[in-house]
Amino acid sequence: MTHAIEVHEVRKSYRSKRGDSVEALDGVSFQVPQGRIHGLLGPNGAGKSTLVKILSTITPPSSGHASIMGFDVVGQSLAARKQLAVVLQQTATENLLTVRDNLLVYAYLHQVKPAVAQQRMKTVAEEFELGGMLHDTVQELSLGMKRRIQVAKIFMLDAPVIILDEATTGMDPLMKRRVLDRLRGEARNGRTILLTTQVLSEAEELCESIMILDRGQSMASGTLPELRKLSTHMFRVNLTFAETNGDLVSKLEALKPEQLEINGKIVEMVFRGEESSLLANLANISKDTPILQFEVRGPTLEEIFIALMKEAR
Amino acid sequence: MSAITAVFFRDYRQRMTNIGFVFWDLFVPLAYLVLFGIGFERMMGSGIALEGQAFSYTTFLVPGVLGMVTFSVAMNTSWGFFMDKDSGIFYELLTYPITRAQLLIGKISFNVLLAVLGSGLAVVVGGLGLGASVRWDLLPLTAAIVIVATASWFFLFSVFAIQFARMDAFNTVLSAAYILLMFFSSMFYPLSNLPIWFRIPAYLNPMTWQVDLLRFSVLGVGSPVPLLFEGVALLIFAFVCLVIAVRALNRAA
Repeated sequence: MTHAIEVHEVRKSYRSKRGDSVEALDGVSFQVPQGRIHGLLGPNGAGKSTLVKILSTITPPSSGHASIMGFDVVGQSLAARKQLAVVLQQTATENLLTVRDNLLVYAYLHQVKPAVAQQRMKTVAEEFELGGMLHDTVQELSLGMKRRIQVAKIFMLDAPVIILDEATTGMDPLMKRRVLDRLRGEARNGRTILLTTQVLSEAEELCESIMILDRGQSMASGTLPELRKLSTHMFRVNLTFAETNGDLVSKLEALKPEQLEINGKIVEMVFRGEESSLLANLANISKDTPILQFEVRGPTLEEIFIALMKEAR
Repeated sequence: MSAITAVFFRDYRQRMTNIGFVFWDLFVPLAYLVLFGIGFERMMGSGIALEGQAFSYTTFLVPGVLGMVTFSVAMNTSWGFFMDKDSGIFYELLTYPITRAQLLIGKISFNVLLAVLGSGLAVVVGGLGLGASVRWDLLPLTAAIVIVATASWFFLFSVFAIQFARMDAFNTVLSAAYILLMFFSSMFYPLSNLPIWFRIPAYLNPMTWQVDLLRFSVLGVGSPVPLLFEGVALLIFAFVCLVIAVRALNRAA
């Protein structure tokens, strides 16, 4: 089966301005089946944007290969680009054009027929609340509005693969919600979405599979339940006590949680260790201070991410 | 819509949305022609002698203004190119299903058309409005020179637009190029009466080659052998600028 996105042993090295050799990507491999939303996570400098540049054919890999809908990004770069709609990290808008022309020119440059482009422009402008500013020149607009236009543009196309490099950065929460919902809908209709983000809750909510990158290498990849298995000895515990006092806090601190937050009678802890030992310790504590409510669940993506980063460094 | 037509449309909309560009493209050269032409013609009294023929200063200036049109159009386009890079759209353009050659051809096509229109306007204003004796029969040759020259300047200034990261540095280089290339050339005055230190760089300046060729096509004046050399030199200049621009474009990606 041909995957929508295939990356095999991709390496990318370049010379820095100081003349040092920098390994931006070091043997990264993954596949994304059609219709899936795949997240690329990692701290700054992890290699996410380099990978996006390789997949969107801006720069070739130093070695390895990558393809979009079966088209090699180096040998068949034009064919690969015909399958793509890309939002780069940098806010890229046609600042010298109006909002209307930004949408239309983007569609024309992707060989969308003028009549189709005009029709889509009206729909997209309405959906992204751009109707009132269609004739405004983009350089006069705020950064948030530019970001909105940049993301709106990809819905002018029906390219099967969408690549979004931190696309929702700078977007207001309501619009962000609308974009996320729309992306989910696009994936249901068979479009494949590759998303890089540092907003882990966004990835957790949206992505069906995730790869965590650090310093050009894959730290972990899989679906969210698969990633949770990597942190089987990590638990998030929510407790509601009848009362909290200094003695209780000392007892909780003695458990050496990775995180401890006390908010009135509610305690949130991230605990690393054996589940049975945790439960036994909590049972002991409850003898002196009754627990009214008790919830144990697996770690969030953010907690997995932080744990993996700590392990790596 | 084909890729080249789409790039053409993009540049057309950029110019139409920012009408100040058109002012610099078309009307500033015309203002030079009318104001400089009339002012210097009255100041000098007698005309300018070239190859045994006498021309009014306004007539002499018409080919220079055509050179200025090609230069202004190319400068404004390269400024737009710099803005594209600065805003990040340049890199996004590289993800579109168009080749880099289509991108360059589309941009050149629009700007060449604009330069031809601007040059036509200058010839009409000079010939019909200001009484310059224009060789209407050589207009196709004039158009060909304008096309090659606009493309050359566009390639050259695009290299600057791609290379420079800071707008102040880019603007400084463009302003310096504007002053040096226009005034160290035969655009405003015949070079034959100027000191040798002025003439040597002026004869090496592609703007001189272009204006001398235009002076032949617009006014019918010039010696065949030097013009042939200047024609070949202008073509080589255009080709070298194209190669450098393509390399710079690939390196920037």
